[in-house]
Amino acid sequence: MRVLIVEDEVRLANNIAEALRERCGFAVDCAENGADGAALTEYQHYDLLLLDLMLPGLDGLGIVHQVRKRKDMTPILILTARDERAQVVELLNAGADDYLTKPFDLGELLARAKALIRRGKGVSHPVLTVGRISLNTVEQTVRCRGQLIDLSPTEYRLFEYLIFRPRAIVSARELLEHLYDYNWEHHSNVIEAHISNLRKKLRAVGEETSITTMRGRGYRLEAPEKQL
Amino acid sequence: MRKNSLSRQLIAGVLLAELFCAASFSCVALLHEMHGRRRAFDVMLRGRTDSLMGAVQDAEDPDDNVTVDPTELALPKQDVYEVLSPSGRVLGHSPASSSELLMALASSGKPGYFNFEVKEEHYRALRFNGLRIIDREENGGIRRPVTVLYAAPTHDLWHEAVEAVRFYVIAGVLLLAVTGLVLVWFLRRRLSPLQELAAIAGRVSASSWEFVPPDAVLRTTELAPIALSIEELLKGLRQSFERQRQLTGDAAHELKTSIAVLKSSLQLLSLNPRTAEQYEAGLEGLLTDTERMEDLATRMLELARLEEARVERSESSDLPSMLQDVADRLRPLSDLKHVALQVTVEDAHKVAMPADDVEVLCSNLIMNALQHSLPQGRIFATVQTHNEVTELRVKDEGEGIPEAALPHVFDRFYRADRSRSRNSGGAGLGLSICKAIVERSHGSIQIQSAVGQGTEVIVTLPAE
Repeated sequence: MRVLIVEDEVRLANNIAEALRERCGFAVDCAENGADGAALTEYQHYDLLLLDLMLPGLDGLGIVHQVRKRKDMTPILILTARDERAQVVELLNAGADDYLTKPFDLGELLARAKALIRRGKGVSHPVLTVGRISLNTVEQTVRCRGQLIDLSPTEYRLFEYLIFRPRAIVSARELLEHLYDYNWEHHSNVIEAHISNLRKKLRAVGEETSITTMRGRGYRLEAPEKQL
Repeated sequence: MRKNSLSRQLIAGVLLAELFCAASFSCVALLHEMHGRRRAFDVMLRGRTDSLMGAVQDAEDPDDNVTVDPTELALPKQDVYEVLSPSGRVLGHSPASSSELLMALASSGKPGYFNFEVKEEHYRALRFNGLRIIDREENGGIRRPVTVLYAAPTHDLWHEAVEAVRFYVIAGVLLLAVTGLVLVWFLRRRLSPLQELAAIAGRVSASSWEFVPPDAVLRTTELAPIALSIEELLKGLRQSFERQRQLTGDAAHELKTSIAVLKSSLQLLSLNPRTAEQYEAGLEGLLTDTERMEDLATRMLELARLEEARVERSESSDLPSMLQDVADRLRPLSDLKHVALQVTVEDAHKVAMPADDVEVLCSNLIMNALQHSLPQGRIFATVQTHNEVTELRVKDEGEGIPEAALPHVFDRFYRADRSRSRNSGGAGLGLSICKAIVERSHGSIQIQSAVGQGTEVIVTLPAE
């Protein structure tokens, strides 16, 4: 999952980014002002936008308007130091999904961020199940028939992204865009290598052909018909 | 407190004036009428006296006496008369009169008109010394002087006068009633803008600042200045309220953001077990954050102090030497940034400003210039006194301030480029503090800037 933080208080943005990377394994990009933030949202790489309300240049509300105007459904969480009711109502009506007032609890921010991403992908429970495999987004664990599969952080993130969209073809480019922030040097064979490791680990617990490669198009997580 | 109604007072005043006019008019009319009637009465008395004179005849007796025979005269019954001979003998008198009345009539010795009163009845009388010539045909006649006393009651006189004046009195009262009603209606109508103004002004409150005086009020010469000054006052108050609200909001925003940084830093550290180095780095960051918060709190308190306390007129400071001290103290910082800091003093006097203020002013201005200077840039700080005015100029060769931002640089918490200034540590209070310092010492502060060329702050202070 990839998150964009638009916050002019650099120390705060770095703290949040660090927590999101450490705790949720998300890729995080930071922008220091509204204009840069708005420009980054146009790529639509993001699974969540975290916006400060008072920003130099373009404020949080302005970014919400821009994003929603182009029918971008990315969940938006607003950070605000002002908790005036009218402003909160205006924000939510403009298309923001949730808000947190500063100073906030970092744990609460992480939980809300995860919940918003889940909701944005049409899932309400933190445990996602496909066939015999279940993924717990809170513990960041994957189990097959109750047996824990030991995955590296990147493999977990890959699998998490795929399990949110079972049976859909996800291109390597999309995976790259959503799993790595722009600071990373990335190549498509990185994805290929991680997918193959993931397959090996799944096969080790007896789960066959769960991830198929669609040549030239991408990857697909297979799921039994009745699941859908 | 008892309230006075302007319209009621006006109506009462005008009605009283009218009433007074009507009463005076009635009195004058009555007096005039009385006077006229009294004169007519006197003429009548004289006429009746003459008639009586005509009735004096020769008595046909040996002494050639005269007598009065009023039988042929038609004199009113209530009238009293007496005819006396020069010797005082009564020649004749009104037959119906009482002796008491006749005595009262005869009491006056001088000829002419006089008044008397008998049994609560007022009389006006005339004493007339006449000459009756009898048998004019023979030897020019016999001269017989007689004194005639004639009196008539005056009670009818007053009644008749009142009767005559009554018409005027009634007309006056009616007119008074009609004009009173018209007046009430007219005043109510004319004073309605006043009531409208009061009603509109009454609706103004801290939550509703709406005050639009109606046209009727603005068209009234006496009310327009009141309405306009209320409008002006409210505008000023509203702006001041909004500035205050904005300020509180901004201060809360800054404080909450600072706390959010601290809290998130702490929570991030405790999120996962860390190495000693990571903890150390985290603590260092926390210390920096805390220092920044401390700085913010200090500056906010400084500003509050400046805005509250009055400056003592007697304090004065040596601006040139203090500027030099501040520059020397900040020189390590400017060396670190590779910025040349140059102080020039030209014939400068002391300024009427507390020493603390001068120090804060100088260090804020130089720090500001330093923060916005590029490496290899220069800062010029100059002081000079000219025509009793001391001028302090601090000029940098930094990136400058966009024209749109210039009017706001003295606003509290304002940053031309917020993210940049945050990184350089400013809370957007430095110039606000400078402005407060300068203004409370009756000086002025201006800023000139061109993007890409630099910024110059000019402070003018009254010299000591």
